[in-house]
Amino acid sequence: MLPDFASIIAETKEEALSCLSSLERAKVIAGGTDLMVKMRSGERYDHIIDITNIRELDGIAVKDGVVVIGPVATHARLGSDAAIRENAPGLALACSLVGSPQIRNMGTIGGNIVNASPAADSIPPMLIHDAMLTLESKGSSRKVRLEDIIVAPYKTSINTRELLGPVEITSLKGYREGYFRVAKRATWAISRLSVAWAISEEEGTFKDVKLAIGSCTPMPFRAVKVEGLLRGEKRQPGIIAEAVRIALEEIKLISGIRPSFAYKLPVLRGILENVLGGE
Amino acid sequence: MPVFIGQDVTRIDALDKVLGRAAFAYDLKTDDMLFACVVRSEKPHALIKKIETARALSMEGVAAVLTHIDIPGENSFGAIKKDQQFLAKDRVRYVGEPIAVVVGVNEEVARKASGFVRIEYEELQVISDPFVSMTSPVLIHDEGNLLSHRKVIKGDIEKGFNESDVIVENTYRTTWVDHAYMETEAGLGYMDDDGRIVVVSSTQNIHYKMKEISRMLAMPPERVRVIQATTGGGFGGKLDVTVEGFLALCVYHLKRTVVMRFTREESFLAQTKRHPLHIEYKTGARKDGSINAVRVNITGDTGPYISYGETVCLRAAVHATGPYEVPNVHVDSRMFYTNNPVAGAMRGFGVPQLAFAHESQLDKIAGILNMDPLDIRIKNALRRGSLTATSQALEHSAGLPETLKRIEPFWRSRERQNDRRGFGLGCMYYGIGNTGVSNPSDCYLTFMPEGRIALHSGVCEIGQGSDTVLMQILCESLAMDDEKIVLLRGDTDTSRDAGSSSASRQTYISGMAVCDAAQKMKKYLEKEGYYSGRPLTDICEAALGKGDAMFEGHFDPPTTPVDMETSRGAPYATYAFATHMTEVEVNEVTGACRVVKVHAAHDVGRAVNVKNVRGQICGGIAMGIGLALMEEFSPGKSKSLDDYYMPTSMDMPEVEAIIVEDREPTGPYGAKGVGEPALIPQAASIVNAIKDATGVEARELPCHIERLKLLLEARRQK
Ligand SMILES: Cc1cc2nc3c(=O)[nH]c(=O)nc-3n(C[C@H](O)[C@H](O)[C@H](O)COP(=O)(O)OP(=O)(O)OC[C@H]3O[C@@H](n4cnc5c(N)ncnc54)[C@H](O)[C@@H]3O)c2cc1C
Repeated sequence: MLPDFASIIAETKEEALSCLSSLERAKVIAGGTDLMVKMRSGERYDHIIDITNIRELDGIAVKDGVVVIGPVATHARLGSDAAIRENAPGLALACSLVGSPQIRNMGTIGGNIVNASPAADSIPPMLIHDAMLTLESKGSSRKVRLEDIIVAPYKTSINTRELLGPVEITSLKGYREGYFRVAKRATWAISRLSVAWAISEEEGTFKDVKLAIGSCTPMPFRAVKVEGLLRGEKRQPGIIAEAVRIALEEIKLISGIRPSFAYKLPVLRGILENVLGGE
Repeated sequence: MPVFIGQDVTRIDALDKVLGRAAFAYDLKTDDMLFACVVRSEKPHALIKKIETARALSMEGVAAVLTHIDIPGENSFGAIKKDQQFLAKDRVRYVGEPIAVVVGVNEEVARKASGFVRIEYEELQVISDPFVSMTSPVLIHDEGNLLSHRKVIKGDIEKGFNESDVIVENTYRTTWVDHAYMETEAGLGYMDDDGRIVVVSSTQNIHYKMKEISRMLAMPPERVRVIQATTGGGFGGKLDVTVEGFLALCVYHLKRTVVMRFTREESFLAQTKRHPLHIEYKTGARKDGSINAVRVNITGDTGPYISYGETVCLRAAVHATGPYEVPNVHVDSRMFYTNNPVAGAMRGFGVPQLAFAHESQLDKIAGILNMDPLDIRIKNALRRGSLTATSQALEHSAGLPETLKRIEPFWRSRERQNDRRGFGLGCMYYGIGNTGVSNPSDCYLTFMPEGRIALHSGVCEIGQGSDTVLMQILCESLAMDDEKIVLLRGDTDTSRDAGSSSASRQTYISGMAVCDAAQKMKKYLEKEGYYSGRPLTDICEAALGKGDAMFEGHFDPPTTPVDMETSRGAPYATYAFATHMTEVEVNEVTGACRVVKVHAAHDVGRAVNVKNVRGQICGGIAMGIGLALMEEFSPGKSKSLDDYYMPTSMDMPEVEAIIVEDREPTGPYGAKGVGEPALIPQAASIVNAIKDATGVEARELPCHIERLKLLLEARRQK
């Protein structure tokens, strides 16, 4: 059962920010698909501030190759939005695989980021798009890279008075982009493993490779070593095998050896071979 | 006159359910009702030293905290034997075992207060494995840790293997599965104007529960009334007493209306599960593919209480050979107590687990002999005149060969769209009704003052469609429109005991009881001139005036008890048969198996309601996908639907249901049953299809993505 709390529906960003700055034990709610689950199992807040009515936090805009996504944009919206599908097709796909239609209609990209699950579907694609977050609090604002904000599983360095504002991602038009996730059933399942990629190639040579992996490490990560190795290399089995080896090594280095790796690492090897091999 | 049997009559509950009007137990709740919740054991095996209720009782809004001392009658229940306590007195044997009931003005108060009931335990050694239980000096019950040992012996097993050309031996394992019905256990209880105890609940049986309550309260059964609320699924999990005893006890003490509903977590933690079975299976066959000998050793984990453990033990044994004629059989089936969850009845009573084993064995033999999997099944299939493993002669309605024949064109023309696809077969037979015991059903018909006929039925409609089917049978038997008939169902005050909605028995057994009553009434109606045009209202009025108002129906399927040493006998009056052909696609990178298409041919005797039969087949396939590929309840780990994966609509394949009707002469219009049969061969056919697609043999269920990937990796490394 849910504990008692007061709820506030903020109509403007300023209102939300001033609530956050003045109220004790206050918490932002967007779609509530993570927060309600946690509150039902005992997390308590005195004030719940609903931000989904705030127009300036919603919407998607593109300017100079940068896509600006409002934090309360839902997964359903991101999955079908023309600008996202054009500039970040991997992100559109990832969002359309989240949960179920009900969850996608409620759950937001901001919530997905702030919840900071190792299995969050939108995070690997946003990492390859070098997502930049704007964090606002009453009277100040800062910009931080997505990969710098997640500090541990389900933990970010966003403080309790801060609101996540627009998320900016760079367009990767011209890249071969994708997202693949592994789950225990066809839908409505948390990713056991996920890979986001964007690859630009010219005549069989990797010009640029961006690769992010989710659900293997405490936080989804960019496989920068692999990216560096492949840049400028001809696409052939030898280098791909080496890239895969490095990716798996890096994961083991970050996470140590985990029982789940008996499953995950062979699967990841297969996925990466397909992705890098162009299948 | 319209025909009712074999028609797609719309279910009589359809409109209420799609419009959200049907009232499930918890929908009957109003604000002035008290809410009761259960305090459960946190220890798997312990002595109870002390139960402290004072603190909870002193909390505002708490009406009562009841424990074993508040039970006026016998503190025991059980469908087969009365071995389980409503509220534990001095010992608990599993995590989740009920110890106290807290009643409060609302759910929040009751649940909060239940956290303040303090139990002092002295922990005992825990047994969490049947193989440990087997030899352990720690006894879960004084009589020992072996609940039941049943055997099936036929022919000469040694000779059978000596005369076999091929012998295949494997071990198969299955795990706990939760029923995971949409509606968790719920109900409400109140005292009526005559001071009787009334319980309205989500249940698969009402008369059984009435008797348990009467014993618990030391009240004559007439002082207890049990009514079935609209029920959101059962699958065997609502056969045992769930909320009913607690509700009755609360009403007894408080004389107020009390409501209960288990949370999903509670249902997962405390309610019965499918039995995990460890099956050692040895098959001997001749060069021509005929099965010559089957030796099976089943070891089951039944948890700490009987529930339906003995039933599963025996049913698994007598179905262990599968639907094949085997001259030499030796089956040992044993159930051991553990401190794991109570394993009870779940769709198929052990037979789906055995089907996984015998169907895998058969494919293996076919592979060695280079025989087609369909041909080997046709060769061995039980048919009219065959002797089953219990040496029962099948005299009629034995449609397995026909189901194989109907699958044959699809099988012979199967084609792999890509190399990740594969096809598998699964066959089954299933005895309809309880095993080797009398399991009658009674009903009656009356004339109503408003000029209609009432069917008084104790059959619980749990979503399977029994209400509609029984009405169809009655309409057909009386040659009368359903508008002239009222169904009074699921109330111990207005019906007789029809037995439980389980063992795929209601269409067959209660359907026959309805036929019986209808025949008597029809004679009366004939005499009174109904069929020559006299209005029913007239006849009703006259009959009520004369007191000619009741026509009783009864049916008990002809069975014989099975021999305790060999299980020889005729445990069931009739059997259902089926063949499933399943196509899967395996992703070798991830280990994910997708079920693409299922052709399911079922001999149901007669499909009283074709849509219902198809519905059961689709539902059985969904559950079979869960059993084969995902559902795995791990005690202590599986908490809710968050971590317990079961199929969604997106996991459903295309289904082609093929209905075979080899009429059963003892059944209503030839009908048998399909509820459990629909599930039984599905997991088996998936496992065989995975083998066809990839070459790997799954010997443990569920074969979820991780298990399948590890098998694929092991194959790769070989
Ligand atoms: C059944 C189910 C299935 C799911 N399946 C998936 C899945 O497949 N993949 C996946 O990635 N996730 C899944 N989720 C998790 C969840 O739906 C997502 O993480 C979703 O994106 C969360 O968004 P929300 O708007 O609901 O967040 P909320 O629950 O509203 O908030 C989550 C957290 O973020 C904070 N927050 C939200 N917005 C802001 C903001 N603008 N500024 C500051 N803090 C903020 C909240 O305070 C809270 O701490 C599932 C959840 C459920 C219940």
